[in-house]
Amino acid sequence: MNELLTGLITGIIFGFLLQKGRVIRYDKQVGALRLVDMTIVKFMLTSILVAMVGVYLLVDLGLAKLSLKATILGGNIIGGIIFGIGWGVLGYCPGTQMGALGEGRWDALWGILGMLAGAALFAETYPILKTTVLTWGDFGKITIPQVLGVNHWIVIVICLVGGVLLFRWFEKKGL
Amino acid sequence: MEEGQEIRGWNPYLAGALTGLLLVFSVWFTGKYVGASTTFVRSAGFIETAFNAERVAAMEYFKKELPKIDWQFLFVIGIFFGALIASTTSKSFRIQAVPSMWEGRFGPGLGKRGIAAFCGGLVAMYGARLADG
Repeated sequence: MNELLTGLITGIIFGFLLQKGRVIRYDKQVGALRLVDMTIVKFMLTSILVAMVGVYLLVDLGLAKLSLKATILGGNIIGGIIFGIGWGVLGYCPGTQMGALGEGRWDALWGILGMLAGAALFAETYPILKTTVLTWGDFGKITIPQVLGVNHWIVIVICLVGGVLLFRWFEKKGL
Repeated sequence: MEEGQEIRGWNPYLAGALTGLLLVFSVWFTGKYVGASTTFVRSAGFIETAFNAERVAAMEYFKKELPKIDWQFLFVIGIFFGALIASTTSKSFRIQAVPSMWEGRFGPGLGKRGIAAFCGGLVAMYGARLADG
């Protein structure tokens, strides 16, 4: 099937589920950052856990390949902190703000414009970053099971147990 | 008012699990892992090309992330329509310029929210690209 068509269909289903899960709103996003409403953490972590099991099953069966990004501590840590500051102020993620716009929360439009400006600024500064921050702590394409030298299912089961315990705690605390 | 299943939405664990399955099927049938932020780079490249195509063609980052319409571009567009369909069919679509929690803390001013959202978006995207997310 046409690549653009599958992208559109996948996006529509993704946006539909995000909206049904009530995870795209500012109040939900910032509510999680303020540790008062864990709805998006429940949604996100559940989807990650399900996808982790499914994707590794596909990989083990030879039906898919992992798509790894390089672990570069400089970029990951500094970029992560900068992203977090911006996320806390905007209250939407790159993908979810498209959904926020779809729900009628049109302040997402300012976020979209800001993100286009941020991407343009990044492109301007990329040549400098490439020779500095993006060379600090470059470990290449690694995975946690590979670093620990254990079978990936051990790591997956630990993540699943950790996730379930966290969810139980959220429900007990009414978060 | 937060009342009734339609207004509250689906259980977040259920919606999250279904989303997880969607991600698995996407990898299985099309080999695509989802993402969104590269699309903002490609779009910025498009806009800049309209002003100075030669400069964009010479920039290292736009050579790496070519301004083109690809799978992820349509995925990001699709998120908008998916949320539009889900909200308008469940009476949860609402035209809102300032989020409730923001208004409670910073007031209903459009300008203040607009400037903060723009700056927040700029900073967030810069960080996301730096972390390669």
